[in-house]
Amino acid sequence: MSRKKLALFTATGCRTCENMVLDIHYQVQRLDRLFEIVFWPYALGSQLSDLDDLRSIDVCLVAGAIRTRSDRQAAEKLRGKSGLLVALGACAAFGGMPGLVNRSQASGNPPSPVAVDIDPQSEPVLGELEPQVAALGQTVAVDYVIPGCPPTQPLVWAAIQAALTGAGSNTHLSFAMSRLPKAVAQAIASGVLPPRGTVFAGEKAVCASCSRVKQEKGFSKVIRPFQDYESTGRCLLEQGLVCQGIATREGCGGLCTGVGIPCRGCFGKAEAVYDPGAKMVSAISSTFQTDEPAEIEALTAQFHDLVGTFYRYNLPTECALLRPRSRC
Amino acid sequence: MKDFEPKIIAFLCNWCSYVAADAAGVSRLTQQPNARVIRVFCSGMVDPGYVIKAFASGADGVLVAGCHPGDCHYISGNRKALRRSRLLERLLLELGVEKGRFRLEWIAASESPRYVEVINTMTDDIRRLGPWVTSAPEAEAACLKRPSDLVLDGQRPAAATSG
Repeated sequence: MSRKKLALFTATGCRTCENMVLDIHYQVQRLDRLFEIVFWPYALGSQLSDLDDLRSIDVCLVAGAIRTRSDRQAAEKLRGKSGLLVALGACAAFGGMPGLVNRSQASGNPPSPVAVDIDPQSEPVLGELEPQVAALGQTVAVDYVIPGCPPTQPLVWAAIQAALTGAGSNTHLSFAMSRLPKAVAQAIASGVLPPRGTVFAGEKAVCASCSRVKQEKGFSKVIRPFQDYESTGRCLLEQGLVCQGIATREGCGGLCTGVGIPCRGCFGKAEAVYDPGAKMVSAISSTFQTDEPAEIEALTAQFHDLVGTFYRYNLPTECALLRPRSRC
Repeated sequence: MKDFEPKIIAFLCNWCSYVAADAAGVSRLTQQPNARVIRVFCSGMVDPGYVIKAFASGADGVLVAGCHPGDCHYISGNRKALRRSRLLERLLLELGVEKGRFRLEWIAASESPRYVEVINTMTDDIRRLGPWVTSAPEAEAACLKRPSDLVLDGQRPAAATSG
């Protein structure tokens, strides 16, 4: 089997997703046997201009949000050369944390200091910005999506295997497949390309794989993760923490909630959820212990920055009121 | 702005507010024709998602009306609606939906004049605020950017399956 050509690129992002590709344990040796890595600025120091010499790429993993014009150009260039384009991580999949800037309705570049000579070598300046931060899928067509901040290793490996279509089952992969929708898992196991647009994560909410116990009790005080609460056993939402598991797609296996940290929603919204913010409002307020108007008012006042919390990773794509309106 | 007519989605509970709206019509009380009524069984079943979806689909205001606290046909549905509405109001405010566009009101079956008053004041308030426009940009080519539209079909499966 000839090696497939693999490219990796991060637009606007922290590059942890690329680290996650290196962090697939022993599989990383097989990565080199299966793929010829033709373009990877992070690890190989490739330049964007190197892309012009490449005839084609088989599989391209792109992480990061589309924030600057050069991000968009790179994404378009990679799309044109790639057989399969995979959005890697929450930023590429949903816009991610950089997407929160869309709230400020910034149009164009922030004002730069006037009449100061800047030496671009010693003081690099920001490239030209797009009017709004976009996810990769809002800029170019995307074949597969691997959500997560960062995506977990089993899902990354499952997606790579799927892109190869020459899958061989092993323990690492079977964990991922147990989290994936059945049809996708079967496709990977039998060496068929999963349908275009497949999200490499589960279908239900994180609660489905969370081991915590619900007692159907309400809370009367909002708790933040640095404060004192029961980190084992009980459902975090019922204790008064903002845990977004109920609105979030599963696939992580409840990693954060398992160690007592409330879910932050990095896998995007679950399949059945219309708007993650609305779902969280519903989930939180139905866990209020009180029915008294004054106490409801007092409890509500304890929450801060609802948009930044509920749409932490997916404002540009999954917020029903702020995502770009389509005319079709 | 002169010929702006607000679109108000009114979720009315089957047992009180809908009856009040019905009675308002029967008693020929004058009301502004801007409310689109959706009858629901209880104000407690109006999920915040319904309200957000109404705004996302072009509504300028959303009214949720139910029985007075204590009068709920299902015992506590309207209290649940109240619990939700405070947090939802805050979320809407942060998303750029001004105060006054979303209202929760208690209207008993016998209070048809109250229903008319709520609809009229709400319509006037929203007429003053103007149409609700999201700050999000129009997706210039999102419709074209679906994978099936963009990709040259002969090219990709070949790249994906070769080897």
